[in-house]
Amino acid sequence: MQGENPHPSDHDLLLVLDGELPIHEAEKVRAHLARCWTCRARITEFDNTIVDFIRVREQLIPPLPAVEGPQALLRLRLAKLATSSKPTLYERVGTFLQLRAVRLAWGAGFALLLSLIVWRFVQPVPDTTSRVAGFEIRSVPDPRLTPGATLPLTRDDVCAAEMVDAARIVPVDVAKKVFAAYGVDTPEPRAYEVDYLITPALGGSDSIRNFWPQPYRNTVWNAHIKDALEDHLRQLVCAGQIDLARAQHEIAIDWISAYKKYFRTQNPLPEHATFLKDRPWE
Amino acid sequence: MLLDDVNSLFGVERKTADRDQTLPLARDVEVLFAEWRAPLLGYVETLGLPIEEGEEVVQEVFLSLFQHLRQGKSRANLRGWIFRVGHNLALKRRYDLGRQVLQQPVPGDIEDVRDMAPNPENAFQIKQRQARLLVVVAALSEQDRCCLHLRAEGLRYREIAEILGISLGGVALSIGRSLERLRNADGR
Repeated sequence: MQGENPHPSDHDLLLVLDGELPIHEAEKVRAHLARCWTCRARITEFDNTIVDFIRVREQLIPPLPAVEGPQALLRLRLAKLATSSKPTLYERVGTFLQLRAVRLAWGAGFALLLSLIVWRFVQPVPDTTSRVAGFEIRSVPDPRLTPGATLPLTRDDVCAAEMVDAARIVPVDVAKKVFAAYGVDTPEPRAYEVDYLITPALGGSDSIRNFWPQPYRNTVWNAHIKDALEDHLRQLVCAGQIDLARAQHEIAIDWISAYKKYFRTQNPLPEHATFLKDRPWE
Repeated sequence: MLLDDVNSLFGVERKTADRDQTLPLARDVEVLFAEWRAPLLGYVETLGLPIEEGEEVVQEVFLSLFQHLRQGKSRANLRGWIFRVGHNLALKRRYDLGRQVLQQPVPGDIEDVRDMAPNPENAFQIKQRQARLLVVVAALSEQDRCCLHLRAEGLRYREIAEILGISLGGVALSIGRSLERLRNADGR
């Protein structure tokens, strides 16, 4: 047998004995057994061990009582169940719980409830809104009112020196329209910055769709913080580290996330708390 | 009423067999009882339940089988179904009874070992050998013992895997390992 086909493992021999080996593999093993007495002797040992176990098992299981008594008892119980016209409460509850659709619905409902609990009590509620005098102060604009708007400018345009030092003054009529759109009838002086969503320093336009009343107070994500982001993004754009369109997009979509990303912090940096690039509403 | 409302909500039709259908079902269950009561009871006893508790577990299995069939559920592989439910009910009953140790005859307690040997010396050797094998069986893990006993009842590896909640490969490894230990116990 040396140098010819290898002997099957004990595992394969047992599977062949128990009829658990796939047919084509079992045929190979049986073909080998037909010419290998050594492996046939191994099979015989397996058989003998199984015989030993069966005999030991007989010691473990005492002789069973006659079947007639238990069978009569089962017949009585079955007759009682069979003659009941409607299922018992136990059966109905069991059936209810066994309904696959019900199980799926319960599972989905539970998963949803768990998700809501985690979302509400584990995740911090973002400090993006607060209420003062009945007006919901927004750290982020309403995208329906302020989706953002840009001018067709290039990186070279926005990085021109004269734009850096330009102090932007928002026309009064534009500011009033912005306040009116956001439901602010009497805006408190120096409490807001009628802010560009996309700053002109990054190519933002003077369209009313690019303005919103951003507060200086009552939220950590205020105009000072955004000013710091705008300044930083412009530096990155002008240094060629990010392209202009990307900077515009990130500010327009979610400036708070952009701040966290580019300053690598989850909270506003202390030094930005008093950052002032733009003029407050007066 | 609530069940009907829920059923209508989920579009599930609850099948209720009328009287004419439940009686034949009961007869079917009695036939299956006659065939599988002894193997199932024997297996349940290997899990450590005394005979009286085992009989009650078997009764519960076949009453559940009746409900199963009355609800129009699958009749595929009823043998596997019976042993799976019996296994689970037996474990639950054992837990409820607070039995943690498998009830097996210990070596030295074998008084009525049947021996086929014609002379006392052979009878003694057989008794000693059986005692060694019993020690080996008692030392196996419960999963290994269950695999062996279920295989001895004629269940296929796939059925055993479903009953015990293990993989098919796990069943094969378990049985192979157990047989090797039994073989080694005898010095073979």
